[in-house]
Formats: sequence, structure tokens, C-alpha cells
Amino acid sequence: MSHRVVVTGLGAVTPVGAGKEEVWDHLLAGQSGFAPVESFDTGKFSTHLGAEVRGFDPAPWVRTLDPARLGRASQLAVAAARMALEDAGIAPGEVSPERAGVAMGTTSGEPREVEKFNDRFLAGAAGSVGAEFITLYPCHMIAAHVARELGLAGVCTMIPTACAAGNYAIAHGLDLLRRGRADVMLAGGADAFSRITYSGFHRLGAIAPERCQPFDKNRKGMIPGEGAAILVLEPLERARARGARIYAEVAGYGLSCDAHHMTAAHPEGDGAARAMEGALGDAGLKPEDVSYVSAHGTGTPTNDRLETLAVLRVFGDAAPRTPMSSVKSMIGHTMGAASAIEALVCSLAVATGWIPPTMNLEEPDGDLDYVPNQARRHDVRVAMNNAYAFGGNNASVIFRRVEA
Amino acid sequence: MRRVVITGTGALAPIADSPAGLHAALREGRSALKSIELFPLDALNWNGINHGNGVNPSRLAGEVRPFEPREYLGDRNLRPVDRTARLLLVAAQQALEGSGWTAEMRAAREVGLVLGTMFCSVRTIAEFDRRAVQLGPSYASPLDFANSVINAAAGQAAIWNNLRGINSTITGGEASGLLALAYAMDLIGHGRAEAVLAGGAEELCFESYLGHERAGRLGERPIPFDAQRDGFALAEGAAALMLESAEGAAARGARVLATLRGHGETFDPSAGEDEGAAAEAVARAVHLALEDAEVEPQDLDLLVLSANGSVQGDRAEARGVAQALGPRAADIPVVAPKAQLGEALGASGAFQALTALGAFDEGVVPGVTGLEATEEGFPLGGVSSSTRRLDRRPRLALLHAASTDGQCCAVVVEAA
Amino acid sequence: MSNVEILDKIKHIIGNIAGLDPKRIGDADSLRDDLKLDSLSLLEIGVDVDLAFKLNLPDERYKEIQTLPQMVSLVHERLGELSGVQAGAM
Repeated sequence: MSHRVVVTGLGAVTPVGAGKEEVWDHLLAGQSGFAPVESFDTGKFSTHLGAEVRGFDPAPWVRTLDPARLGRASQLAVAAARMALEDAGIAPGEVSPERAGVAMGTTSGEPREVEKFNDRFLAGAAGSVGAEFITLYPCHMIAAHVARELGLAGVCTMIPTACAAGNYAIAHGLDLLRRGRADVMLAGGADAFSRITYSGFHRLGAIAPERCQPFDKNRKGMIPGEGAAILVLEPLERARARGARIYAEVAGYGLSCDAHHMTAAHPEGDGAARAMEGALGDAGLKPEDVSYVSAHGTGTPTNDRLETLAVLRVFGDAAPRTPMSSVKSMIGHTMGAASAIEALVCSLAVATGWIPPTMNLEEPDGDLDYVPNQARRHDVRVAMNNAYAFGGNNASVIFRRVEA
Repeated sequence: MRRVVITGTGALAPIADSPAGLHAALREGRSALKSIELFPLDALNWNGINHGNGVNPSRLAGEVRPFEPREYLGDRNLRPVDRTARLLLVAAQQALEGSGWTAEMRAAREVGLVLGTMFCSVRTIAEFDRRAVQLGPSYASPLDFANSVINAAAGQAAIWNNLRGINSTITGGEASGLLALAYAMDLIGHGRAEAVLAGGAEELCFESYLGHERAGRLGERPIPFDAQRDGFALAEGAAALMLESAEGAAARGARVLATLRGHGETFDPSAGEDEGAAAEAVARAVHLALEDAEVEPQDLDLLVLSANGSVQGDRAEARGVAQALGPRAADIPVVAPKAQLGEALGASGAFQALTALGAFDEGVVPGVTGLEATEEGFPLGGVSSSTRRLDRRPRLALLHAASTDGQCCAVVVEAA
Repeated sequence: MSNVEILDKIKHIIGNIAGLDPKRIGDADSLRDDLKLDSLSLLEIGVDVDLAFKLNLPDERYKEIQTLPQMVSLVHERLGELSGVQAGAM
């Protein structure tokens, strides 16, 4: 038995807004989510920009649980989940809780809780660390909080495969639904801005000092961000039966591991290519069937070069005419949320026939169509979402228009 | 759905550094719990412990000590690999060697890895932050940052062993290890992978210890199902199982240790706060696993449970399992290996699987060491404090694990 | 500090990160080619060398280093600069 699976709801909290409408409008408008970091003092750092989620109040979205008792990533995740469920038009009681589940991804979980732990420990006050550390920090709590908030009682998993985690979670949700292990899955990713993550990328020399310029010859690096996005996934028959609005079908996925280096991708884009090929194979498609690629496109010299190389390997002659853009040019690198937000982008690209730009692109570093600086109308029948992570974890997920 | 079999195993636990050693230690009733030496409890500037219920947490834990990774892993540079990953590397190597997946074969074909872990290393991420804060961000450790992500150990194991197939990490607290088996089982069963190393790893560190203690989860009498239990004791370790398709194993003449027959996952939306709901989630997970495996309760002849001494958790598990098994609950032999191994968090589920394999092999069921009496109304009749030799070797085992926060996972395993 | 002492200290730092016995590191070894150090380890070595000798140099200076003698020169030069500054300040 293998059900076809579709996206029927979208929710997101990002550096350029909250909720599907606002996020999509702002991405198409090329809005920047970058600003001087506010959540901690970057005085000792050589870079000061971040893509934080500013001014977001989780309270309206977190109704069962107390937002004050959730870590930051959990707040964003729960909010995105509720938005997605409402967007899907699924009212409480409409789906049997045992048949509804959560699959989420993250890079660091709730690093701010480690910071709080350390702040106390370093001040000689380990005794003041409270019960909240173990109830907030473990990353499985993010998925658990979503399930708890919404009363879901099926599968509840956290797949923390770093910067590709959102795609891994969506792939897992897809598999569970294909096999009939659930009727509805909330799948996505979340990560919180933190001094830990910022310090790490800063120490690697990976952060751009002024602009995030994916695929530009003068690109200088990535800019850390935070956010959450969740997709409501369900079997096609079920969606049709209840008259749900369908954004796109999740047609297939491919996962691979470079097994090469913890933080640097395989020098020939080997793993990335295998993930793309795996996804195409799973979806029964050829590279030339792909209308749009949502790139990982962090803006680091290495990633963008190797990603372009991998796309050329897989797409061959079709590469130069397959538009590929990176929304990280606007929202930065939101870690585990990134490929989930980019999945939302792919779903909307398929549904609306618009593709977001790669902003700040002045001198393209390669022959591909990176959709420079301006959103574009484009008939997106098939969108491919690519994500690459520390540990060599690569993931590609394909979204396809559902013909009537 | 293709049949998924186990062709190799590896284990590194406080009481043993191989699966055979583990079976012997469990059979002999040896305990992993000793005075903590990995970190200086008294120097932690904390003299806590009064939850208001008069309970003192255990100052014992299950440490893999002494641990000399080079003894197992040779001379390759281990500096970039943290303790959690080192524990995993030992177990992974044993499973790969035991299953016959040589380096040449791994170069030619894609072998995957799915790791269950609760924290990966909370110690590494915490140390990274402490150093960055104390010395300034220019002196943060790049190697520690690479290991601070929760999929780090899985990534290190892939690099170390050239595992280029699907590589994933799954977390679900104490259920992580079984979740990893279920995840890997499905990847192979549905044709997405040919061979996947699945297991769990967790290191013991003071961040984890302090966190659990502060939340009142640790006890001085960490004995599963015991009427006087008061919490669990932490432990560390790693265990790995080589999973592959039955046809693939047959084609390469591999020895099959067991078959994974089915699995089920649920969540308790009360997150353990409502005992009825918690038991219900356990019962549903067991029911789903039995359904997936197409077996009836009366077909089962062994239970390997995740009870660890938690007052409510153990009760919910026993009730839920009994609910799902009906009359069979009265006499099916029960093993609760955390009586001896302690609570190794992400590694636990994988240890549970190895416990079942050991029982299949020898027909000997480890006792719940230290158990004096179960509480009134305890529904599982097959619990014993001492090791028993069964009349017949068990052939079909149900493994169950629940996290303290509501995730439940059940897996059915069949002897070869 | 003499160059010999500097070299010895650097060898210990590299040995620790590369998992090598410092005595088996050649005085003229190249970091990538002879010692097979990858980008992450090289970065870690730069951080540890800077910390050990209290050099306070920007990353770019370490990125230029290919060999052990170059590393020794860098440290020696910088220590000279720092003590020169101190002397000048007196």
C-alpha cells in the first residue's frame, strides 16, 4: 500500500514575518530579515548581523500550554503548528488523535537553555539550576510540545539532522503517511537564535559581515537566523474527500551521507548529487521535469560552489534553464527550520506560480539562473528543495502540482 | 514490505564491552551502578537534593570506566571525536565486523546509519559555550562546535566507517534507541535502503546528571517495578545492530541473528501527568506493534521493558502492557534490564534489543536484580528478581520503551 | 622564548589535535601534506597556538601558514612585536 501524500496546511514564524501570507508576500518582495543582533551582546564578535524573529508574541498561538514554560524553539514550533493546522482547515476533533502525529527537525534544539545552565554554573550557582533544564532543553521536547499543545497522540519524533533536518522530518512524515501509519502528520523544523550557534559559525569564519549573497562572486558567508515552519501532510484521498485546499504533492525524497568531513561538504558534491538523484527516482521524475530548485544556498564560498557543481552534475544541460534561488538571502540560515521554511516556499511556488528571488545578487558566480533580485512568475509543476548539513547529511524533497 | 533481519551486533556498556559480555553480565546479575567518578559530584558547588519528598537521588551511576578507546579503535586520531561518538564507534565497529560488512563492501555499496540519542553530547555543547564565554568567541573550539550538533555522533561514525547511505538521528528521550530501530526497519522494509546500522548512544555527564536530579527524576532505589522504587539512576553506553533486508543477507550468506517483525509509536498528550493516559499510550504502541508484526499476545514469549525505577513511569508501562496483552500478561516472562544497566537514555532501547537476542540464544532470562516486592495490583506475573532458565528458548519478544515526556515505542523481534 | 622552545610547544599542540606523538612530527613538516590535517583541525590549531602564546592575531595570519617553520616564524615575530611594544611603552 502506498498513498500519495499532499500538503494541505502551512504555518511559519520567520525573520520576515509570521504566517503563510506575510512570509510569502515578504519573500516575493525581497524583504530583508537581517538586522543587528538583539538577543545577546555581539561586542566581542567581528560580525553583528543576524536574522532573528523580532517582536513575535507566541501567546495567541500557544493556547493549551503556557508559553513561558516552553523554550524559544518550542514557542516558534507550536505557533507554526497551530497556524498550519488552522490553514489546513482541520478543526479539533476532525482527526482521530491517535492517527495524527508530529515529525520535526532541529539543529541545536533549545541552546538558550544550555546558556542559562552555564550562566548559573559559571557564577558558582549550580544549585540554582532548576527542574526546567531537563523539561526544556532536550530537543525531543520541541515535537512533544507541539503534540501536547494540539492533543496529538500518534507518532511524535524529532529528527535533529542539523541544517537539513526540516527535509528529513518531512521525508519521515511522507513515509509514515505513504504506509498508512497516520492520517495526518505535522512535519517541519525549528531552531532558536543563540550565542552558542552564533559563536560556532563565527569561530568557523563562516559569517558574512554585511550581506548574505548566495551565489554571488563576492559572497562572504552565511548569516545565522531562527524560525519555525510546519507543513500539514495528509493522504491525497483524504484531502480530496474533505475538500481541502491542496498546495502540492510531496512526490519523493532522497537522503545521503557524504561520510567525508563534519563541516565541509564532499569536494565533488557527491552526496548532494545522490540526494537529488534519489529524490527524482523516488518521485519517478527526470531532472528536466523540475521547474524550480529551492537551494540550500547559504552564501558561503564553499557551499554555493559545491551546490552549483552538484546541480550541474545532476541536471546537465537542463541546469541553466532551471531557476534556482535561495531565500537565505533574505531570512538567513534558520538551521533546522531552513528546509522546512523552504518546503513552504516550494509548496507555494507550485500553488501560485511565483518563485522568490536570490537577493543581493550582483555578480552571479556560475551559469545557472539564480533568479537575481526579483521574484518571477513561473509555471512551477515540480519544485525541488535541497538541504545540506554538518555531518554530511544531505536531503532533497520534491513537491509536485496535483493535476485535478 | 520486505523482511528485515539483524546480522551483527555491538555493545559497550558499564558492565561489558561486547554483546556476549553483556549477556553474561546480565545473566550473572552484575550491576552497572557504582559511585560516580566521571565528574566531581561534591565539587559541583551544589548540595541539593531535597525534592520535598525526602528522597535523595542516587549518587551512583553506570559509567563506562575505564574506557580506553584506542584499545578498540586503534591509532586513528580520536581528538576530533567526543565521548558520545567514541562510545558509538566501538559498538558500531563490533556490529560491522560481526555482520561481515567489510571496508571494501562499504566502499562499493551504501550502508546507512540511524542513531537514537537523547542529547548526543550535551557536555560538548555546554563546554563549547563555557569556553566561548570565558575566553571570548575568538577562542571558542571549532572541533567542539562541530560536535555540538545533535547529529554529530552519527556523522562521525559515518566518516569513520565510510557509511554513505541514509544517515539520520532520532530523539525521543528514553525511547530513542527503539525509535531508531523502528525508523531503520522501515527504511529497509520499504526499499529505501539495503543495510542500515541502527542503535543508540549516550554519555554520562554532569549536565545530564544535574538536570535529571533537579527535575526529581533520580532515585536511591532505582529498581524497576519495585514497590519501594523512587526514581532511576543514570548510565551511559552504546549499542548497535546491523539491519538489512532478508534477501540481501541471504544473498551474501550472512548469518541472521533475528528478524524485526513490526513496530508501533504513540504519544501520551498528558506527557506522563495522567497515569491513565500514559498507560493508554503504552497499550496503543504495543497493540500497533503486534498488529504490524501480525502476531497475537499469546504468541509472545518474552517482554523486554524500559522500566527503570520511575514511580509513575514503571506503573504506566506495566499497566499499558498488561492492557494490550490481556491474559498473556499474567505469565509472560518479563525482563527489565535497567535494573542492572541503569538508565542509559538514548542507548537504552538498543540495549533492550540486545537483551532479547541474548535470551533467544541462551534461553536464560535475566532477573530484575534487587527487586524485593512489586506493588499491590501489579499486573505482570512474569517478573522475577533472579535469573531463570526457561523450559523453552523464547522465540518472539516484545520490546517497549517510553520516554518520561510521553513518547512510546514498541518493537517485535523474532529469533532466527 | 627561543625558536626551539616555540617549535616544541607548537608540536605538542599539533600532536594533541592530530593525535600524533610530538616526537614524530618533523621540524619542517607541512600541515596539510605531511601531517594530513583537515580544515577544522587547522582552525583548532590556530586557536590553540594563539591562546598558548597569547598572540592575539587575526585568523587571516593563520590561514597563510602551510608549514611548521612558517608557524614558528609567525609566533617568534609576533612575540617580538609584543615585547617590543612593551619595551617601547616603558
